[in-house]
Parts: sequence; structure tokens; C-alpha cells
Amino acid sequence: MGFELNRFQGEVDEELVCPICSGVLEDPIQAPICEHAFCKSCITEWISRQPTCPVDRQIVTSPQLRQVPRIIRNLLSRLCITCDNAQYGCTRVLKLDALAAHLEECEHNPKRPLPCEQGCGLIIPKDELKDHNCIKELRALIHTQQQKLNEFQQEFTEQRFLLAEQRREMQLLKDFMRAMRISNPSMRAIADAMERDEVLRWSNSLQRARVTRWGGMISTPDEILQRMIKRTLTEMGCPPHILDDLMENCHERRWPPGLCSLETRQNNRRQYENYICKRVPGKQAVLVLSCDNPHMGEDMMVEPGLVMIFAHGIE
Amino acid sequence: MANIAAQRIKREFKEVIKSEEVAKCAIKLELLNDSYTELKGEIAGPPDTPYEGGNFVLEIRVPETYPFNPPKVRFITKIWHPNISSVTGAICLDILKDQWAAAMTLRTVLLSLQALLSAAEPDDPQDAVVARQYKENLEMFKLTAKHWTNVYAGGPFVNSDCDDKIKRLIDMGIEEHQARVALSSYNWVLERATEQLFS
Repeated sequence: MGFELNRFQGEVDEELVCPICSGVLEDPIQAPICEHAFCKSCITEWISRQPTCPVDRQIVTSPQLRQVPRIIRNLLSRLCITCDNAQYGCTRVLKLDALAAHLEECEHNPKRPLPCEQGCGLIIPKDELKDHNCIKELRALIHTQQQKLNEFQQEFTEQRFLLAEQRREMQLLKDFMRAMRISNPSMRAIADAMERDEVLRWSNSLQRARVTRWGGMISTPDEILQRMIKRTLTEMGCPPHILDDLMENCHERRWPPGLCSLETRQNNRRQYENYICKRVPGKQAVLVLSCDNPHMGEDMMVEPGLVMIFAHGIE
Repeated sequence: MANIAAQRIKREFKEVIKSEEVAKCAIKLELLNDSYTELKGEIAGPPDTPYEGGNFVLEIRVPETYPFNPPKVRFITKIWHPNISSVTGAICLDILKDQWAAAMTLRTVLLSLQALLSAAEPDDPQDAVVARQYKENLEMFKLTAKHWTNVYAGGPFVNSDCDDKIKRLIDMGIEEHQARVALSSYNWVLERATEQLFS
């Protein structure tokens, strides 16, 4: 709907008046052929009732409406209009194109948001400020938040229940799978193949590592070091069924005959370079997976692989 | 009332007041309340028609959704016209129905109604009795319309023949307007009107 005519200073040309609302064109738009201009909201409302030009009844549909010529827009933007908040004391007279910007910051706007200065800190529309009661507002706020809190609590309980339920079901499924695997040889073969594939996929996703100083190998890592490596492996997406075995194989007591003592290690030193190692990001350690190393002799490899922890020398 | 309707009516009211038709006394408009929802219109019967010299009062109701919907207009003054009900004053005029356009105003409505008085559309009647008379006996229609204009709209044409016949029926205990309707409907044949009234 357009701007009321009596808000303008001086005469407004008839051409700038919307034939529907009889106000000065707001957001003007025109019909394609007859070029009659209307406020956008007015003509949209009319076309929703019947698709004709309200002046000459030519067929017009919404997508056919066009922007009015620049000259019309310029003439409109030059008109001088009083502020919307004139009745609340604003005496400003502005160019029509500056009105929107002024309204944003007009201090006479009764709905202008202001902070309460009595200490509650809430932002209140100006016209509601005089009836504003901090305690009442804050109480209402607390009330709604309490309600929200209760809702969350309820949801939390619900979710916890669901989680427990799912955990139980998952365990049941696992048990069932284990039983199938034990009782049925073909199932066992399938499960084994799936696990092998999973290890292979994981291994392919890891980056190669290069050991520059094999002498830095720690053959008896302590508990803390082991836990740290284990956590990293979990974060790397290590398949759970090999995680424990891998971690067991980080200590010389579980290493293959060719590595399990200082003496055999000395003897087999030259074979180290043949290992294909994978990086353990951020750690001085490498993974030597048996699926990557079928070329190594049996006395140099164990299933499903080894973890070698170093003091230094990993790239 | 929606802001847009009030704004429009305010402006249209001024437009009518300032118009040359008002200056010539051809149309008149009067506000009946402060909310711009009810107005009284008046149009002069056009020259060279049976309505010449008469003043016809109209009831105008402005709907909430004006100007997206037309104003509701009807004749308060009784009139004998094919497109206007002689009973209720309801008007059959396309622009007051589906041919309404939002850019039309009360002034254009009043002028259109005046034009309707000059050019009846008997093929699109509101009053079937009047329309039949118009098509079958144009002279009789003109005479009746003139008489109604004289009686109800202050027209100058007095038809003593009509008045006499009405008086005869009144003497038989018939109410005046009822008598006039019956006589008008039966081409002023007293016997047939009487027959209809007493059947």
C-alpha cells in the first residue's frame, strides 16, 4: 500500500499515485503493455483475484509485471515526505528514498528497541518501557527457561533409555554372530574374509612411513607408551578386531623369532629395509601389517602385524 | 475497516465533491458514518429519458476489501427499469459484479449507473416483468417509467390517467404502491391488475 498523499510537501503528480490504493506509489511496478503503474503489494493482491489490469482490464499475470522506468523512480525518490513517526513527535521531512534508512534509526519510533536501564538488561520496545517491570519479565524468562530445561531433561532420559536398549540389542547381535561363526564353517569363512577385507581397506588408507634409524627401536615399551599408541590407532580407524592383537605385538615378547631377542635382531638387521611400514600420525611408531608384508619370511612376521615404537628416526 | 479502503474512500469522496458533475448537479455523494463504510449517492435522471427530472437515491456500502471488491450499491428510490429490481432496488450491472476493476471509483460507479438509466440492457434483466414490457411494449414502458419517476423521484411528468386508475384500486382497499405495481405490471389494464390483486 502506498504512502498517504497528505504526508508529502507540495503537489504530487497524478502519475505517481497508485490507482488501487490512491496513495503515492510504494515499490512501484507496471503492467507490460498498457504500462499502468501500481504499488507492488496492491497489484499483487488484485491479480490474485483476477489477472487483469485494474485500469483497462487487459490480461496481466504476475510474472509479466515490470519495473517502472527510471524517470518514474527518480521522480518518486525526490518527493519530500514526513516521517512515519510524525505523530510521535518526529519532525523530519525527508526525500522518499531516504525514508527507509531514517526509519531504521528514528528515535521517535515507538517500537524502537531500548535496553532497560534499571538493571535487568532486557531489550524492550520504547513504548513498552514505561510499563516494564524487571522482576516480572525476568520471572517469565526464568519460567520459560525452566520449562525448556525440563523438556531437555525429559529428552535426555528418553535418549539414555534408547541408548541402553540399543546397546543391549547390539550385544545380542554380536553374540548371535559369534555363535553363527563358531557353529557354521561357511559363516566363519565369510566373516574371516570380511575382516581381512576391512584390514586391507584400512591399510590402503594409511600413508607409508620411512624408518631412517632402525637402531632407535624400543623393544620393551612401557604401559603409558602403549596406551598412547593404542588411542592413536583407535582414532585412525583401526578395525576393532585386530586392535588388541596389534597392541600385544608391540613388545618383543610377542615378536616373531627373527625379532624377539637382541641377538636375532642383530642377525636380521639387513632385512629391516624390506618391511613395508605405515605411519602412525604424530607418533614415533610404525605399523607393519602382515597383509602389506607377504614377502617377509615367517620368522620376521606375525598375524595380524606388528607395532614398532621408536625413540626417534621416523619420517 | 482496512486502511486502504478508508484512504481510497476519503480521496474518492473529495474527487466527487470537486467534480464537474456535482457542479452540474448530475451526481451527489454524502457520507453516512465516520468510518467511510456507508454513503448515500444521488444521480439525476439523464435528459431525454423517462427518468429526466428525477433524483434517484442510492445506498452505497463499502466492503472491508474495497477496492479489491466492488462497492455494494442499490437504489433506495423506487424505479421502473429492466436492470433494476422494482422491489428491492438491486442493480444488475457488470461493473458492480465480475467486471469491477480496482481503479474504478465511486464517481465512475455513479456515472455508470446514470448511463445505465440512459441505456437499459433488457437481455440481462434484473426485473423480468419490466424487461418484458420494455421489449414488447416500449411506449408502455416509457409511460410507466415516467410515472414512477414522477411519483418516487420527483419528476415533473404527471400522468392523470395512471393516477386515476391507482385511485380506483385504492378505493377498493388496495395499498397505493401495491396498486401501482400491479397496474404497471399489466400495462395499466385495470381489469387485469384487479384480477391479479384479488386472485
